Amino acid sequence: MFNRKKFLRNWPDLSFRIVVTVITVSAFLFVLYPIYFVVIASFSDSTLVNQGQVILYPKGVSLYGYSQIFKKPEIWVGYKNTIIYSFFGTIFNLTVTLPAAYVLSRKDFAARGIVMKLFVITMYFNGGMIPTYMLIKDVGLLDSPLVMIIFGAVNVYNLIITRTFFETSIPDELYEAAALDGCSHFRYFSTVVLPLSKAVIAVIMLYYLVGHWNDFFSALLYLNSDKYQPLQIVLRNILLLNQAMAGTTGASAGAGAGAYAQQFADQIKFGVIIVSTVPVLCVYPFIQKYFEKGVMIGAVKG
Amino acid sequence: MKNRKRILALLLSCAMITLSFIGCGNKKGDASESSNGENTGSESSSEAVDASGGSGEKVKLTALFVKHSLTKDLNEMQWLADLEEECNVEVEWQQISADWDQKKSAMFASGEIPDLLFGATADSDYVQYNGLFEDLKPLIDEYAPNVKDMFNEVPATEVMATTLEGKIFGIPSYKGVWPMTVGTTFINKEWLDAVNMDVPTTWDELEAVLRAFREQDANGNGDPNDEIPMDFNGGFEGGFSAMHLLSGTGMQISADQDGYFLQDGKVQNYYIDERFKRVMKFVQRLWSQGLINEEAVTQDYSKYQSLARGEGSTGKVGFTWGWESGDRFGNELQGQYISVPPIKETADTDACYAYDFYGQNYVANRVAMSAKCQNKEAAMRFVNGFYDKEVSMQVLFGGMNDVDQCIKDNGDGTYEVLPPADPDLDPGTWKWTSSFADNGAFYIRDGLALALGTDMQRVTEEKSAYDSCLTAVDPEKDVFPKLFMKHSQEDTNALAMNQANIDNIVDQTWAAWMTDSSRDIDAEWDAYVESVKSAGLTQNLEIYQKAYDVYQNSVN
Amino acid sequence: MKQKKKISPGKAIRRDWQLWIMIFPAVLYIAIFCYGPMYGLQLAFRDYDFSKGITGGNWAGFKYFMQYFQSPMFLPTIKNTFVIAFFSLICGFPVPIILAIAINSIKGQKWKRSVQTAVYLPYFISTVVMVAILQILLSPSTGILSHALRAVGIVGEKANLLGDPSAFVPVYVISGIWQSAGWNSIIFIAALAAVDGQLYDASKVDGANRWQQVWHVELPAILPTIIILLIMNMGGILSVGFEKTFLMQNALNKSVSEVISTYVYNVGLKSSQFSFGSAVGLFNTIVNFIFLVIANQVSKRSADISLM
Repeated sequence: MFNRKKFLRNWPDLSFRIVVTVITVSAFLFVLYPIYFVVIASFSDSTLVNQGQVILYPKGVSLYGYSQIFKKPEIWVGYKNTIIYSFFGTIFNLTVTLPAAYVLSRKDFAARGIVMKLFVITMYFNGGMIPTYMLIKDVGLLDSPLVMIIFGAVNVYNLIITRTFFETSIPDELYEAAALDGCSHFRYFSTVVLPLSKAVIAVIMLYYLVGHWNDFFSALLYLNSDKYQPLQIVLRNILLLNQAMAGTTGASAGAGAGAYAQQFADQIKFGVIIVSTVPVLCVYPFIQKYFEKGVMIGAVKG
Repeated sequence: MKNRKRILALLLSCAMITLSFIGCGNKKGDASESSNGENTGSESSSEAVDASGGSGEKVKLTALFVKHSLTKDLNEMQWLADLEEECNVEVEWQQISADWDQKKSAMFASGEIPDLLFGATADSDYVQYNGLFEDLKPLIDEYAPNVKDMFNEVPATEVMATTLEGKIFGIPSYKGVWPMTVGTTFINKEWLDAVNMDVPTTWDELEAVLRAFREQDANGNGDPNDEIPMDFNGGFEGGFSAMHLLSGTGMQISADQDGYFLQDGKVQNYYIDERFKRVMKFVQRLWSQGLINEEAVTQDYSKYQSLARGEGSTGKVGFTWGWESGDRFGNELQGQYISVPPIKETADTDACYAYDFYGQNYVANRVAMSAKCQNKEAAMRFVNGFYDKEVSMQVLFGGMNDVDQCIKDNGDGTYEVLPPADPDLDPGTWKWTSSFADNGAFYIRDGLALALGTDMQRVTEEKSAYDSCLTAVDPEKDVFPKLFMKHSQEDTNALAMNQANIDNIVDQTWAAWMTDSSRDIDAEWDAYVESVKSAGLTQNLEIYQKAYDVYQNSVN
Repeated sequence: MKQKKKISPGKAIRRDWQLWIMIFPAVLYIAIFCYGPMYGLQLAFRDYDFSKGITGGNWAGFKYFMQYFQSPMFLPTIKNTFVIAFFSLICGFPVPIILAIAINSIKGQKWKRSVQTAVYLPYFISTVVMVAILQILLSPSTGILSHALRAVGIVGEKANLLGDPSAFVPVYVISGIWQSAGWNSIIFIAALAAVDGQLYDASKVDGANRWQQVWHVELPAILPTIIILLIMNMGGILSVGFEKTFLMQNALNKSVSEVISTYVYNVGLKSSQFSFGSAVGLFNTIVNFIFLVIANQVSKRSADISLM
């Protein structure tokens, strides 16, 4: 006979499992189809794609888009530059942000309130593009690859997230105990806080890394030489982004321009996404493992 | 590719050193290419060589070019290397093909710009960044005979270049070989035959034809519902838009002028004209019968183009506007479509057609110079080189040499644009790839014996349907010369602000009227006109009228 | 118990010198690169004059602010911006949290990793391509999503999701969630990973089921992160991404899609003047900042969690 009592006891956990499964499966499918669409569209005839005929599998398969992208020698220079900027930029970001976040998480730090306020203000108020450009010029970073590494060293948003994590996930008792043993802030930060915060460090690292990877605006403004251009600029140059926006350069160069370029751009629009995203996706699994449960406990006990 | 070229250049320059020629120490090895330059060294460009004072150190210049995204690396253009060689300059090019507007304000405001700026400036920049750019007027008189020729032979170019204060900061380009109108009206001839009807000439006939397209299986694929009788792009503005219906009412308009047009010396705007109201009622009627593509307002340009290319040999669109049939319908379907004369409101209206000769053939501000340029004479001579008769052709269509292979010199004073050397590309794409194309600085002389490519030949042929309408146009009296008019900074700001407000009302209103047959256009018209006027149209008409009067005085 | 005994500033610095060293690089960076150019704010109050520089133009007072306030587009753009940002916030904010809790509860490691990777992918799709995909999938004649929604009766037979003004905000918000929910869930997943396993064990001993564990263990653990992010998002209540709105805009939906940023773009496009844009930008920022401060105060009072 159906065990009513047992069922009732297990029902909440069972229903939880059902809800979790429904949410994750539908999120998975909801997200996956458009991604799949980008992939098949990048191999298909753009006319058929625009006509809505490419739905489940590629049609009019051609590698035209990819061949257009990869036949440009600049693309390899772009890859190289972007990897360099992302790697060193992220390291620089972390060395500046993490200690600062730790300091701001210390409730006994006297200037905490005022520093925090001054930092938050910069999230909203800024001097604008032109004064910033002048500054970059004055400090000698204009058209220097260093600008891609140094500029944006502290992202206040990321700083706050890290600070919040330090405040809430690392028990105060740990510091008090360490301080009794005569442990300095330097030592406590490097031997206790950092190992306990692998999860948030992984997240912040990912945020900064992807920020550098996708950053095209600073390169557009501050870099002039072709040899320093990152991948995003190269790709943006290949692809005429949008007819309306391109028409604003003031050169009403005649109807021919838009027409020919549009066809070309449609061919490579989707391929560009794949080319620019795949490398950074490869990083994710390495970061992902720090999100597993138990990382924390191991660290505390060890 | 680049490497091979560099090695070749290195070998050749080594050879040159041993022969103790002048080109030594030449980093780029451009001197080596002079062997290819033989066939370009014509008499007309020799003055540039003479003027530069023969041998000696090359002048180093920096230049920026805002290019089309298709355009290849400038350093790979042989004709450009030849030109630099001839003018005895060495140019370091900065090339930008996306988002220039954003970079521009930062760069200009910082005060540090390259010596020459190709296609990078606008009239408003000369006011906004007062003092950043060099007044070229004295330099042109002294060092740029080719530019002076252009000003003398096509006086409108000088008007276009001259600011209110009588200075010249940007030099325009002129070609004169482009058509007088952007949009061609196309109809599918096979469909007409299938439904057994003639080419429509009036709105009523058009409506009957469109209805037949919709009701019958015009494309003969067995499905009577997949035909789209009529399609357009961009609402009522631009060459492929439904603004052409306004021509049918006898209104003389041009594309991309925000609706402004000229009638009897008065600046007007068609969005508040009675004739626009009649057009709106007509399209509302067409829409309510399902005769207009239901996506005409929302589709992007990619979709608009793709749709008309049909499926295989089955056409999808009956009546539409485009630049040229090959570009619009693809090679497969192009033969099904013919260009038709303007569709008149009634049989006895005098039809006009949109006049775009100015926009197509004159482009302002193709090159400007930094006021801080170290060697203005050399820079001006280099600019002058672009406006040389033979160089100009190459700026527009690509090099006339064995490397670029874009133009052929027939040796008898006639020239020919060659078909693309890359068989995968169409002539238009090839042109945009190999050269500065329409973005460049050039002066194509009227009467130059240059045979254009197949795409442009077809353009001319198809647009001949409008020749009778367009040759009747008196550009002096009938065409709103927006491109040539100059405004003070205050007026520019007012125009921009008002136009944003006007567009907001106008766009929403026509879209709603067209797609919603319950809207009573007659009843709403007066209130609509009032709201557009008070949003700033009255002030804009005054500003434009004032500027037009100034323009009229300057030409006469 | 919050109050500790006060010590003199000099003493505090001597005690905390290591902390000062650790925060020094960040302070230096912010001082140079963020406060250095801050003088540019006065552009909103001046007529820009190139020859005299940013700070040299004639004082214009509130001229450019008034230009915006008196424009017929002032109220419509404010309203549209607010509506889009508001719905993006209230619909978009909870999704990553739910997603993170769900992903965190998955037992199978392979499935967990696949879901996690999949949901964060859309973040890398550029806005241009995103809008292109919307155009293709939502096309009333050929879009499969359009047909599917009609088939199940969510939208009417004649609906055009790309043009209908009432569809603009839902399409904008849902596509935004699609694009960023997975990415935004990462921080919550990381916070959940840091939850002490002993807390789960303890609650199990108390007889809590999974729902109760979510409520009593997981949510409290990530609550500070949730609140901090909510406060920061409140500071974006008058910010709507320019590019996506601009690309999705057409004549039919303009009554709801003209927002502050697209309007400033349209004005600036034809006149290349800085001051108007700077003034509108500053106004925008101030409103945002006020919302941030209010949200921060509310949270400080009610939950003792605050940004600053």
